Amino acid sequence: MNDNRDEKLDNLLRSRRVEPASPDLAQRIILKARQLPQTKTMPLWQSVRELFGEFHLPKPVYVLAGSLVFGIVIGFSAPQDTGPAADDGGASVQSFLSADEALL
Amino acid sequence: MPAAWPEKDDPELLAQVQEGNGQAFAILVERHTERFYRLAYRYLQNKAAAEDVVQDAFLKLWENPAIWQPERNSKFTTWFYRVVVNLCLDLRKKKGAVVLDNTMELIDNRESVDESIMRTQEQRMLENEIAALPERQRAALNLCFDEGLSNQEAAEIMGVNLKALQSLIMRAKTTLKERIKAYL
Repeated sequence: MNDNRDEKLDNLLRSRRVEPASPDLAQRIILKARQLPQTKTMPLWQSVRELFGEFHLPKPVYVLAGSLVFGIVIGFSAPQDTGPAADDGGASVQSFLSADEALL
Repeated sequence: MPAAWPEKDDPELLAQVQEGNGQAFAILVERHTERFYRLAYRYLQNKAAAEDVVQDAFLKLWENPAIWQPERNSKFTTWFYRVVVNLCLDLRKKKGAVVLDNTMELIDNRESVDESIMRTQEQRMLENEIAALPERQRAALNLCFDEGLSNQEAAEIMGVNLKALQSLIMRAKTTLKERIKAYL
């Protein structure tokens, strides 16, 4: 008797009916998701990696060589500090010093 | 040759979703919407509410895919069942008692009208009594009698061991047998 009731209850539980979902439920979810932006919350280590990734050089050898050449070109094109202007400065300091000595 | 999109398994698709891939998300939704809807419906007994819960659960995953952590969760479906159950519980707390869906007309064409009415009454009575069970007993029952879920999986979803789950089911069934004995 008790077994019979157990069995009947099991059958009832198994045959619980579910009203079918709307056929377009999945599509509705997909369309709604397309309108929503994704937010990326990453763990700290991953965000640090991404930060370093921003400075990643695609071809470091070319970049290094390019920087070297650029530096040399800039270096040679800059005026050197050996012109008459520099000598003028030295002469005026000397005349100032000798003027001081004259006072003494 | 890499697997075609629909053949990819859940972890592969989830990794793609975490990269922002909408196609992977679409396949995941199409693959699992039905089963999660069934579970939500069993909890809420209301089509619109169950659909909303499933939609919310998937949109949460899409908006913040980092909530899925493969190293912490054993299986996507196990984890997602928990997400859906929690959303159902939240909704029940917010809205109070479950309102049975009026559209739930369960008449089977093969049965006579009398038989159909009786079956409908039986099922309504059963649903009302299940809704009145304590939360954990109801969860155990819903998960175990949902197609395709083993007791082990149900226990994992509920975060209890197998014995505790079996005890919950036994208590739920004892209560139900007592309350609907007129129908058994």
